Amino acid sequence: MTAAATTHETRQAELKKRSSGRLMIFGFLSPTLAILLFMVAYPFFSLVYYSFFNFSALRPEAGMKPIGFKNYAFLLSDPELWDRFVFTGKFVFLCVALQMLIGIFVGYQLQKNFRGRDLVFTLLMMPMMLSPVVVGFLWRYMFNSEWGVINFLVSSAGFPKIDWLGQTNAALWAAVIADTWMWTPFIILLATAAFRGIPETIYESAEVDGASAAYTFFRITLPMSAPVLFIALILRLIDSFKQYDLFFALTGGGPGSSTMTVSFAVAKTAFSYFYTGEASALAVILLLIIIGLSMILVRHLGKMGEKY
Amino acid sequence: MVPRIDRAVMTRSKTSAIDHAGRWLLFGLLIVYTLYNLGPIFWLIISSLKSRMDLFAMPPKLIFTPDFSGYQSVFGVGAAAGTASAVGVFDSLVNSVIVSVTGTALAVFLGTLAGYVCSRFNFLGKGDFMFFVLSTRMLPPVAVLVFYHLMFARLGLADTRTGLILVAIFANVGLATWIMKGFFDGVPKEVEQIAIVNGYTRMYAFTKLVLPMVKGGIAATAGFCFIFAWNEFAFASILTTTQAKTLPVKISAASGATGIEWTQICAAGVVLIVPVLIFFYLIRKHLLMGMTFGVLGRR
Repeated sequence: MTAAATTHETRQAELKKRSSGRLMIFGFLSPTLAILLFMVAYPFFSLVYYSFFNFSALRPEAGMKPIGFKNYAFLLSDPELWDRFVFTGKFVFLCVALQMLIGIFVGYQLQKNFRGRDLVFTLLMMPMMLSPVVVGFLWRYMFNSEWGVINFLVSSAGFPKIDWLGQTNAALWAAVIADTWMWTPFIILLATAAFRGIPETIYESAEVDGASAAYTFFRITLPMSAPVLFIALILRLIDSFKQYDLFFALTGGGPGSSTMTVSFAVAKTAFSYFYTGEASALAVILLLIIIGLSMILVRHLGKMGEKY
Repeated sequence: MVPRIDRAVMTRSKTSAIDHAGRWLLFGLLIVYTLYNLGPIFWLIISSLKSRMDLFAMPPKLIFTPDFSGYQSVFGVGAAAGTASAVGVFDSLVNSVIVSVTGTALAVFLGTLAGYVCSRFNFLGKGDFMFFVLSTRMLPPVAVLVFYHLMFARLGLADTRTGLILVAIFANVGLATWIMKGFFDGVPKEVEQIAIVNGYTRMYAFTKLVLPMVKGGIAATAGFCFIFAWNEFAFASILTTTQAKTLPVKISAASGATGIEWTQICAAGVVLIVPVLIFFYLIRKHLLMGMTFGVLGRR
């Protein structure tokens, strides 16, 4: 066999390999891409389109009146919308802060091996496995000011009963307590995974150097698990930002409309009042905020990935 | 379980009083959290077995005669089956099973293919594709629902299981792609290279060699997708009206003439959590790996 023939053969094989690779990329990606484009990109552009019309899905025969940016102008000048954003912001901040704090603390304790660890772990994950609607109803049942078990405990401890779901501030805390109950296990799961991924040898050398427990935790454990904890933070931030199911079942947006999140307001505008055009505009605003937020966070994550 | 502060502290021979107090403080905090975590679950189970009278008793009863009417109505058997508030609850359980199992299977299938390609090949716009896929996870359901509501009616998908399965695929395929990419990243590239050098096709290497190596990963991905599909509420509540209602949607409307059917809601909650709990326990080892999106695998 001559040298030329060998190179020719390898080239042919190379070409064949590359084209089969291309076929594989195309074949494996196109179904996913197709369904996502159909279910995400198409709705997104339609939403933007609808947002420029005065239109109700309940009365399609009334037609679509193009009104330019009036939906947006109306929404952005509506003080109630700002209240929704402020409430959503407070809810997201409290939930994410509490969940990260408790989740990292418990996850740090759970990384150690002890007997029955898997069972304890699985049991602690239970709140996360429940349907959010069930969680909402369960807490609504327990928060009832008359016969709820929480007020029973509160009054047994000698404190006055709290009207959990009837007062603006108490209702915010009720929602935060319920959401934190449900989603702290998620942070525990990720934090434990991250902490257990840190090689034992690093701890051993820290020990040899006589590092304190606090030093080990803040200088080794936290920085080394930062990328995973950051993913947890992103997911929780976005999920609590779009929280709808919990409020649907727990407070119904009340008292008044004081626990109405932006998501809830979209649903109400679209499916209770059927102001489809206005709801589309509000949905577009919400989408832009979430996409912007996640782009910043994912970019930051990319940087972190390079660092570690 | 013995409270321990840290591995470094554990090995020290002299434990100061402060360390000791600190350990018990940590242990106390863990106990408080465990009560907060498991208390409501306990209350859910207790309440699912209470009769109407016992539900509203003050002080709350811990000892009572169990009443199974909530479970009977969920499974469509016994005396409770015929009552107005129980009509169709069992049908909705069937809908839930069909929609979430089919949706999960298809989402994991597509996510496995896409995740493999994203893990092994470099192609134009790969970064954008990955971000686009992840961004679908970030969409608030209510935002796209405004449009789905119109689109599903036009396509004849409103109030059908097919429509909900489509939603379940779309809602989970992004997550599935990311998690599976993480698992494929953990399989050395040499596996395929050696197979190809030995004359096998890449497709053969993928199906016969790589896939069996990520079995656990597929199970973990399926577990996550199933949790989300099984508990999904926002889409199902708007896109179904009568026929295709899933269990979470059905129980959200479980309010008869006598107010909210707490027993039935709690019973449904217990029924909803059982399959997830079993699934979770079986795949717990892989879940820990999968949820880190391969960030840890790189180290």
